[in-house]
Parts: sequence; structure tokens; C-alpha cells
Amino acid sequence: MTPNPIGSKVEQLAQALAERIVPLIVDAIDVDALIDRVDVEKMIERVDVEKIIERVDVEKIIDRVDVQKIIDRVDVQKIIERVDVNAIVDQVDIDALVEHTELGSIIARSTTGVVTEILDVIRAQGVGLDDFILRWGNRLIGRGKRAATWPDGPPLLVGPKAVTP
Amino acid sequence: MTTVPVPSAELTVGRQGHYAGAVSRLVAFGADVGAAWGAYAVGVALINLAVKLVTGHSYNLSNHQILALVTLSVWEFVYFSYQWAVSGKTLGMAIFGLQVVTKEGGPISGRQAFIRTIALGLCLLTLGIAFLGIVFQRERRALNDFMAGTAVVYDWDARAARLRWIARKEGPLRRGPEHTPPAA
Repeated sequence: MTPNPIGSKVEQLAQALAERIVPLIVDAIDVDALIDRVDVEKMIERVDVEKIIERVDVEKIIDRVDVQKIIDRVDVQKIIERVDVNAIVDQVDIDALVEHTELGSIIARSTTGVVTEILDVIRAQGVGLDDFILRWGNRLIGRGKRAATWPDGPPLLVGPKAVTP
Repeated sequence: MTTVPVPSAELTVGRQGHYAGAVSRLVAFGADVGAAWGAYAVGVALINLAVKLVTGHSYNLSNHQILALVTLSVWEFVYFSYQWAVSGKTLGMAIFGLQVVTKEGGPISGRQAFIRTIALGLCLLTLGIAFLGIVFQRERRALNDFMAGTAVVYDWDARAARLRWIARKEGPLRRGPEHTPPAA
């Protein structure tokens, strides 16, 4: 079967026409304006992200990632320098830590002796009695409030006392 | 199990470096007087024994009251001034967690220890009036502290004491197996 010569010519003409017209149309379109008119939020809402995630083979991605290479590129020293260790330690409730973990029993076993225990009790009781005598002694002579603003200790050992209004 | 409750953090943690109060100081002083007298009595007994062994005659210092008083005074002076000069604390102060520091909070010099000891003797002659500053003065300083330019502060490791306390009273081993956390 021989090809139709008229059909072939028309096809060539249409091809040539398209090649000239399409660039003209594309040039004439303001793509930015077109994009501005697209409601991206609406498009995202219509996308089923769950379905996409289900189709992703995470294991395969992980297998392709060179974790060691990433770790090697991390400057740990720089990260440590930026971390405020004191702020972290301040947030740790040491009392609760000792109370609720084996750390407490380790401390108790390693440092507790009968003498230490007795001394701890006597010293703490002494501090309590010191405060009692100071408070009531000054209250009796009408200086209770003023005594509360007295410094806690020598300037080299304790900071200035915060005065509450 | 003891019924002594865990003292509040206010009484323990953070008290290091604070001015010491009257009761702690009085009890520490009492312990020092006891220790100094005990050491003096042992020393006198040893000297008596040595004299008896060498000469064969018994010699009792208490028969010579003036000499005994002078010896005791010198010994007390050495006992307090030497220990303050070396570490800022006597045996009694170490037991009760106290330390003598300068009024600014630094370590005291030998000269300050010397003056403080002399002044302590003078203060004892006032029958306690010179010590009222410990209760009524803003830096809890007695007259001998003013004369020597010193102050007395708490020096015991109160934070460690509190942790020991909590560990003893509240730790998992003390609370019994029903309170121990399950193994991972």
C-alpha cells in the first residue's frame, strides 16, 4: 500500500505551523502571573501525603545514606562549645535523681559511716538552731525585719543578697 | 530505720560560706575546750610517768597551781592559734563544719590567728558579753572577730550531706523491693 501524498503534505504543513505558533504562544504567556493564580494550598490539600509516604521505601533510602560520612562531617567540639552545660546541670533535680535511682544507694554505701551520719545530723540541727536563735534574738529587740536583710556571708564566699520589697 | 526526717534544702544545701550562728560556734568551742583539756591531762600524765621512770620520784603538776595555770594557758593558746593559723579551723570547728576566714572571706594569716586567740581570752573575761555580736551583729562577729578582722562561716559540704541523707532515707534499697524500679 502506497502512502497518501496529500495526507503527508498536510501533516508536514501542520507540523511546520505548530513549530512557528507554539513558541509565539509560549512567549506571550506570563508564567509568573499564571503561577500566582494557582492556589498551591488547595493543591497540597488534595495530595494524599500518607499514600506517598507509604510508597517510599525508607529502608532503601537509609541503605543508600552513608551515616559514617555524615558523622565525620559533624564538628562535635563546636557543638559542645555551644552547649551551656551549667544551664543543663541547673535543670537536673539532683535530689530526685538520688532518691529514685540506684545512684542513691551507691552514694550511701560508698560514703556513709556511723560517724558521718551523726555529724550530718548534728550539723543540720546546729544550723536550724542557729537560725532560730538569730531570728528570735533579733525579734525580741525589734530588729527582726532588718536582720532578714543582713548579708548571708563574706563577699568573697557569697554573692550580694537579693532584697525583696 | 531512723525517724529523723531529711532536713530541708534551706538548712543544708547552699549554706557553705554563710556566717555561722551562735549554737554551732558554742558547741564547737565546747568541743575544743574538752579536746584541749583532754590533751592537757594526757600530756601531764605522760610527763608525770616519764619523771617517775627517770628519777624514781613522783611529780604532780597540780601541786603547783600557778605553774599548772601558766602551762594550761600556754597550751590553750598554742592549741587555738596553731590550728587557726594552719587551716582556719580547730578540731571542734572541723567536727561541726565551721571555719575562720577574713571578714572578706579569704584565708586568715598567722598574725590574725595570733590576735584572735589573745582576743578570745579577753572576751572570755567579759562573761559572754563580747560574744553577743554573734546574734545581734549583721556579720555575726564577736569582739575577738572584730579585733582580728575575721568572721566564722559554715564550711561543711552540706550538698553532699543532703545527698547522703536522701540516699540513706529514701533510696531504692531502703524502700524495699516493691519500690525498686523494674529491670530493663
